[in-house]
Order: sequence, then C-alpha cells, then structure tokens
Amino acid sequence: MGGRANGRRAWWEDGMSEIVRVSDLTKAYQGGVTGALNGISLAIEAGEFTAIMGPSGSGKSTLLNLIAGLDRPTGGSVTVAGTDLGRLGESGLARFRRDHIGFVFQFFHLLPNLTALENVLIPAQLKSTTSAEAAGRKLLEQLGIKEMADRYPAKLSGGQQQRVAIARALINNPALLLADEPTGALDTASGEQVMSLLAELHRQGQTIVLVTHDAKLATRHAARVVSIVDGRVVDDARLETTERAAADVIRVRSEEMTR
Amino acid sequence: MSLKYGVMGLLAEEPLHGYEVKNRFEAMLGGTWEVNIGQVYTTLQRLERDGLAQPVGERGDRGKLLYKLSSAGHRALDEWLAQPDSGPQQLHEDIYVKLLLATRLANGELGPLLARQKRAYLQRLRDLNQLEDRARRDGRNDLARLVRGALLHTEADLKWVDELTADAHGGKTE
Repeated sequence: MGGRANGRRAWWEDGMSEIVRVSDLTKAYQGGVTGALNGISLAIEAGEFTAIMGPSGSGKSTLLNLIAGLDRPTGGSVTVAGTDLGRLGESGLARFRRDHIGFVFQFFHLLPNLTALENVLIPAQLKSTTSAEAAGRKLLEQLGIKEMADRYPAKLSGGQQQRVAIARALINNPALLLADEPTGALDTASGEQVMSLLAELHRQGQTIVLVTHDAKLATRHAARVVSIVDGRVVDDARLETTERAAADVIRVRSEEMTR
Repeated sequence: MSLKYGVMGLLAEEPLHGYEVKNRFEAMLGGTWEVNIGQVYTTLQRLERDGLAQPVGERGDRGKLLYKLSSAGHRALDEWLAQPDSGPQQLHEDIYVKLLLATRLANGELGPLLARQKRAYLQRLRDLNQLEDRARRDGRNDLARLVRGALLHTEADLKWVDELTADAHGGKTE
C-alpha cells in the first residue's frame, strides 16, 4: 500500500496525543450481568494499536460500542478526540461518529442492494464530501479490491466484504478505527489478510482499537493488550516490539546424557 | 529429547565429522538449541562405544574424523522415530510451584502473581508470532511447525492463567 488516500494526516501532525479517555465507565443491563461494565478507566494515545481481550460476556464489545458512541453509558464518561460524547445529543453524536470514528463489525453489515463502492461512499455522501468517489476507489485499491468496486456484496467473498467494510470505515479519515472481532466470520487466510491490512493502516499512523478473544491475533499486531474480565480491566500490558533471537524465545530442551 | 538421536538422524543422511554435526544440528533447530562441540564429540564417542556409529577411514585434516551410522544405529533410530512420546507430562517452568507456594504463603493472594505471569505469556506469544513469521519468510516450514506448537502451548498457558484469574476474582470464566 502507498500513502493514504484523500490526504490523511498522520496523528503526530495533529499535535494531539490522547485520542480516547474513558473514565469510571459503567453500563448496567437489566436482568443479568453479561456484557456489563463495572467502572472502566482507560486512555488511548493517538497512533496506538490496542487490543481489548476478554472472554465472551466480559464487556469488551460493550466498551467498544460506548467508545464508538453507538450506545450510552449508565455512568462515567467517554471522550474521543477531545469531545465528551455525553454532551452530544443524538444528532450531534451521529455526526461525530460519522466524521471521527470508523467501525468494523464481525459481520460486515454491508447494504446488499448497493455495490461495494456505493457502500464505501455511504458515510462520505452523508457528509457530502467532494470527490468522494475518487477517494473511495483509491481506498478499494489500497485494500486490494479495486476490481470489486462495482460488484454487489453477495458476489464478494467474506474477506472481500470485510475489506469493503474497512474502506467504508476509513472513507472520512476517522481519528479512530474500532474493530469488533473483524476476523471472527472469516477463514484463517482471509482473517490474516484483514489483520495485515489493519497492521499496515497502523504503520501509516491510524489509531486502532481491536476487540478480540484471540490472543494470538491480539499479540501479533497490537503492542498493547487490555484484558477485561467481568466488566473490569484486570491487566493493561504494553508489549516489547523488538525482535528477539530464536534462542531467547524458544529453547528445545536437552536431557543430560548420563551414560 | 536428547542430542543422541538428533546426531544419529544427521549421520543417517551422510557421514559427518564433529563440526558438521554441530552446525547442521543447530541450523536444523533454527537457533533454538545451541550445542557445544564438546557435547557433540562426547555423543559421537558414546555412539561408537555402543556400536551405533563408526568412524569412516583415518583421521584427516587437523584430526577430523568422519562418522557414519551403523546398521544397528539405523535400527535404533527407526525404533526411536516410531515410538510416540509418552510418559509423564513435563512441566518445567517455575510457575507451577510458585502457584502452590503462593497459595500457602500469601494468604491465597494470587492476583498479582497471575497478572505478572499473564504479561509474560502475552509477550511470549508476540515473540513467537514474530518467530513464526520469520521462519515462514525464510522458507523454513519445518521450523514454523515447531514454533506453532510452542504458540499453541502458550495460548493454553494464557487460558489457564485467565481461568485462575477469573476464579480469583470470584467470577466465572465463560
């Protein structure tokens, strides 16, 4: 992939370092504790690739939805790119989501009666961006599915549909890209392609928060792994990224020769 | 496993002298097992003593002596290859004993111990991911399979620590 389409600025050019701040966030659900949050505080720096891990029902998707402004918390606050989401009304929140947040879901959520390109352009047209189509085509090219632009979702493989969904999430140059189990519905090879794309976007400066239950996937690409259990952060690990010699990673063991 | 059968396997391919055995063995293991030349010579001498390998010809340049596998050596190697790894599960890492001792010494306070261990496993998983990628880039699919085994073990270790952590929090795992 080359440089970013439609003139994306790198995060450091914005002179801002903290992109998400979550303070004492709670979310209660009627009739059960599944997915509830019990007081989560977390700050995410611009340019970070953060994985949020936890067993099913731990609240990791709930947290992502609250950061995305797709849902309202019971208590606490979410600030994204300097804006306290709790202060926004419904239409203001919708506008903020469209302009600043890209969201990739496990099941793509493409509109079946629109082509790949038209799906990508939905958020851009809501924003009435000029030359959105050129930007959309450029993104599809970057994501390796240029020739799929005029096909309908039903004619695309799962991996291709997810790449369309990623293009749609990126069309408005969001400050924050959120992905909830983006490979959960894909075969291993397509999943790895999608993850490689996210890693490449991260190298280009994109802030990414990935929700996954897959530790291999999380540690492969994200240098920060936040673990959630029962709606609480139980660990927040920043991993070292320097490559290690094989002998420092694996030691095949020898039994002492005794005879 | 022991160095003995690794050396025998290499000698089964073609006669080698000590340094070649060392170099080929380390290359095969992709840097995950370094042996010193003394161990290799000791192994070769023991194989000769037990009739499993024999010298080929006279000592050549700088006293180098080629060894080849004997027919008894070939049989022993085939037998070893055909034998599944059974016997007790090997738990070499300290965490198992630390866990038991922490339960006694720290009033059952396992949280911090588990959190630190989890980080170590996450880091290991990341390092193993890189090692697997590197092995594949280098066209070493045999080595990538070995790393994959280590990766899956580490994923299991992580699950185990998560389970213990959930227990420690009084919750349930899934």
